[in-house]
Amino acid sequence: MKTSVKAGKKLLTVPARIAAGAVLFIPGLIFEKTGHPVPAFVLCLLSMLVCGADVIINAFRGIFRGDMLDEKFLMTVAAAGAFILGDYSEAAAVMLFYQIGEYFQTLAVRRSRDAIKSLTDICPDEATLVEDGVERRVSADDLEPGQTIVVRSGERVPADCVVTSGSADIDMSALNGESQPRAAVEGEELESGAVVMSGALFCRVLRAASESTAARILELVENASEKKAKEENFITAFSRIYTPVVVGIALLVAVIPPIFKLLTFAESIRRALVFLVVSCPCALLLSVPLAFFGGIGGAASRGILFKGGSSFRPVARADVFVFDKTGTLTDGRLRIMSTDTPYDKDQLLYFAASAEYPSNHPAALCIKAACANPSVPTECREIPGRGCVSVVDGRKVCVGNAALISDECGKDIFAAARLEGDVFVSVDGTPYGGITFADALRPEAKVAVAGLHSLGIKRTVILSGDSRKKAEFVRAELGITEAEAELMPAGKFERLTEIMKDSRSTVFVGDGVNDAPSIAGADAGVAMGGVGQDSAIEAADLVIVSDNLEKLPEAVRAARKTVRIATENIIFALAVKLGVLLLGALGICGMWAAVFADVGVAVICVLNSIRTMRK
Amino acid sequence: MTYKFKIEGLDCPNCAAKLADRLSKLDGVTSAKINFLAEKLTVESELSADELLPILAQTAAAFEDGITVRK
Repeated sequence: MKTSVKAGKKLLTVPARIAAGAVLFIPGLIFEKTGHPVPAFVLCLLSMLVCGADVIINAFRGIFRGDMLDEKFLMTVAAAGAFILGDYSEAAAVMLFYQIGEYFQTLAVRRSRDAIKSLTDICPDEATLVEDGVERRVSADDLEPGQTIVVRSGERVPADCVVTSGSADIDMSALNGESQPRAAVEGEELESGAVVMSGALFCRVLRAASESTAARILELVENASEKKAKEENFITAFSRIYTPVVVGIALLVAVIPPIFKLLTFAESIRRALVFLVVSCPCALLLSVPLAFFGGIGGAASRGILFKGGSSFRPVARADVFVFDKTGTLTDGRLRIMSTDTPYDKDQLLYFAASAEYPSNHPAALCIKAACANPSVPTECREIPGRGCVSVVDGRKVCVGNAALISDECGKDIFAAARLEGDVFVSVDGTPYGGITFADALRPEAKVAVAGLHSLGIKRTVILSGDSRKKAEFVRAELGITEAEAELMPAGKFERLTEIMKDSRSTVFVGDGVNDAPSIAGADAGVAMGGVGQDSAIEAADLVIVSDNLEKLPEAVRAARKTVRIATENIIFALAVKLGVLLLGALGICGMWAAVFADVGVAVICVLNSIRTMRK
Repeated sequence: MTYKFKIEGLDCPNCAAKLADRLSKLDGVTSAKINFLAEKLTVESELSADELLPILAQTAAAFEDGITVRK
């Protein structure tokens, strides 16, 4: 509390001092122009002292620290220099415009900081704990797993928890960018950061607030600004040499022209002082990181987590998107796609489901789900990786892959019967039918792929461990340009590296279950879905929290916009700085104009950066 | 140990970089980084958080008026 009051006070006094400085400056300027140097001297000196007191004080601190390149010191030297040369109004104007610029810069930075904070403000401070039927407010940090809390309408879920009673609509938009509220029911797990829209939910805490979803997202976002983009590193390196170089040139400008009698000593010093006022690299240092900072915050509020400033460029430049199939383009849940049998289809499923009755294999579970009334086999032998051999209603039933059938019933009997499937069923040694599985395409996949293509990403590739036929089916259905099938995990990575050779930038999209190497190896790796899988998040450059493929084109657009704004800022800031230096050296641009241009650039860059937060 | 503090009152990224340089030269501090936009100070140090905080706060306040460091 104390600090914010103090900060507020500091800001309040600055405009007051600027106003006072301006009131003293204007008559001072008039006196100077009308040939009254004495009142001009007094008024401008007072204006400078009132307006620039803190600058001058901090300048002396800089000297005591031994920092001769401190911006406030250089600004004070510039103002003092102008004053000694007799340019009283110029000196006062330097301080005045510097303060005005700094003030706007501070305001702009503060506003964008607040805007980003509100975008990522998803961790509530307090929670309502329920103990023995009594409610009390506690700090969210004090929640422990197993405790019961109540979350009422308008409140955020403080920690990951499971609903024990009550029902309510919840809004997850702050976490995953999904704008549609959904109903939460008993037994459901809730992630922290979700907002309860109506009603009340009693929940059992599963994880401490600091280990819950919202805190993890926030941590990712905060750490993201520490992974610097190339542009940021360039600007940091540049600004380190910028100040000494500019001050060095200022010295040359002051000394060399008078030696060759090109300019008077006073005039060359006047020109050198212009250099001093633009020697602060703040506009540069602010322009680029803020663009990325805003980009990270803005994307995070829509459920797209960029892991760092460095993640933007490869996504923005991407010309190839490579997808894992199962679990990424499809929902990863097996369904029966088709059956192939000369007999009754339901009878086929009955034999298969009964024979696999005790099995928990995904294919077995899927077959059992499709059969209404399987019977319990009298004998059952499950052969891992192959299938089951059972006795159903007194008949020997084999259910399994081709290897199992050829062992049990003889080679090629299914090929001879021209039956197709992933799983074959034989009854009493004769072919009965085949069952083919598929997992369903995600409903949004087609739109997402079309969205990527419309952004100019020409090549989209599926890398799948599944059969050629299935990969091809998914490819055709979604409008993806290429599909490669029957790849082992290591083979996927190998193919990815080959694709990357012909590409400007390749993005790999996976669900993180077994494709972490590809996610890590691509120019940019995208992990689809929650923040729960540490290995995928560790490897990825981009996490799509909502697991919604339609976020991919949105992420590309956000990345492009952020990179573009960062580039604009660099070019703009550098161009204005160099322009002012050039004009100053030629004597065209005076000191106060230089100050104005310099801080003006910073403010414009800040405002430009704020655009990265929007869609 | 790595500690994270909130640092407020910084007005300019160049000053933030200079203050970070200064803090990293303090006794017992291995490295100090300031994230100007996130207002976060990350310090690696062999000291405990309670020993560290007053030293950091003092150095920051002496660097420029109105800079505060807290947990």
